[in-house]
Amino acid sequence: MTGMLQKMKNAVRSRSIHVTYVDTGSCNGCDIEVLACLSPRYDLEQYGIYVHNNPREADVLLVLGCCTPQWEDKLKGLWEKIPEPKVAIAIGNCPLSGCVFNREGSYVNPPASKHIPIAASVPGCPPRPTEIIRAILSLAPTVFKDYEEKRE
Amino acid sequence: MGLSIIWYLKEFCRGTWIKTFLFAKTAPLVDPPYFRGYPTLTGKECTHCLSCMMICPTPGAIEVLCEGETWAPKIFEGHCIRCGLCIEACPEDVLDAGRVLETQARDGTSLSVRYQVAVNPDTCVRCGNCVVACPVNKEADPQLSATGTSANDEVIMRIHRGNLWVFHDEKCTGCKTCEGVCPTGSIRIARVAEGRQGAEE
Repeated sequence: MTGMLQKMKNAVRSRSIHVTYVDTGSCNGCDIEVLACLSPRYDLEQYGIYVHNNPREADVLLVLGCCTPQWEDKLKGLWEKIPEPKVAIAIGNCPLSGCVFNREGSYVNPPASKHIPIAASVPGCPPRPTEIIRAILSLAPTVFKDYEEKRE
Repeated sequence: MGLSIIWYLKEFCRGTWIKTFLFAKTAPLVDPPYFRGYPTLTGKECTHCLSCMMICPTPGAIEVLCEGETWAPKIFEGHCIRCGLCIEACPEDVLDAGRVLETQARDGTSLSVRYQVAVNPDTCVRCGNCVVACPVNKEADPQLSATGTSANDEVIMRIHRGNLWVFHDEKCTGCKTCEGVCPTGSIRIARVAEGRQGAEE
């Protein structure tokens, strides 16, 4: 009985992924690519991905930007607000290396994995919407699968 | 009102509607063919000229590494911004991504590189070290004197009447030996890359 219930939960979770995004000081290039995922051409919702503006409603956090000092504690707080099971994906070069902003004398603190646990990264400056959707679709169901059993 | 409910019920009972509702497939996620992804090796031999590293606008995105006997460029994801300049700069077409090489061949575009020699006259002490150390100068005038004076017009630069004159900076190969021997750091070599179309070297 519990097996059946778990299977149903897995099936539902793989078709209903709730996403929120946070821009920690990017140039807006990646934001526009995330926005393009919502457009009719890529249409996130046909894959069962829903975008929220509230971290308490989300399971997946998309981190964009190069983590400016003002975001260090706020990113951590935001990560704690997301209910379990949760996963963070770094979008673009900035949360990985700082990219163009990581120069001498600039106030950035990459990588984002210093502040919150990052499960996957989508490198690119900016990445394509297809790459972003592919990363979410390949990662989220595997992380959320059998979550209740893993927790025990 | 009553009729419209019947119309809807009839519509929902149609076989094609039920089939589409239950078994509609989402379109597969595919990158378009013109997408310029990360540069990949085409299998041609790298000559270790480092044109790709020199043209790269991002720090730490590309490095030419030695793999046994041969050299091969390596792209670091997370740093590379996929601008495609390394593909265009490579004279051997070692790298390719998307349609960059195809477009380059069709449009006849290329990148030409020259070097600019700049001397700061305020800090230069006219010692002539740069003139003597330059390997191109040695080729052009084997009888170059130790003070950097020369009777030859074919040298890149020479000391003449107590001043340093740069004649032929188009001959510079960019080795930067002069930068190393300058006691005051007043000579600088700048690499200038220009995009060209239709011009044959």
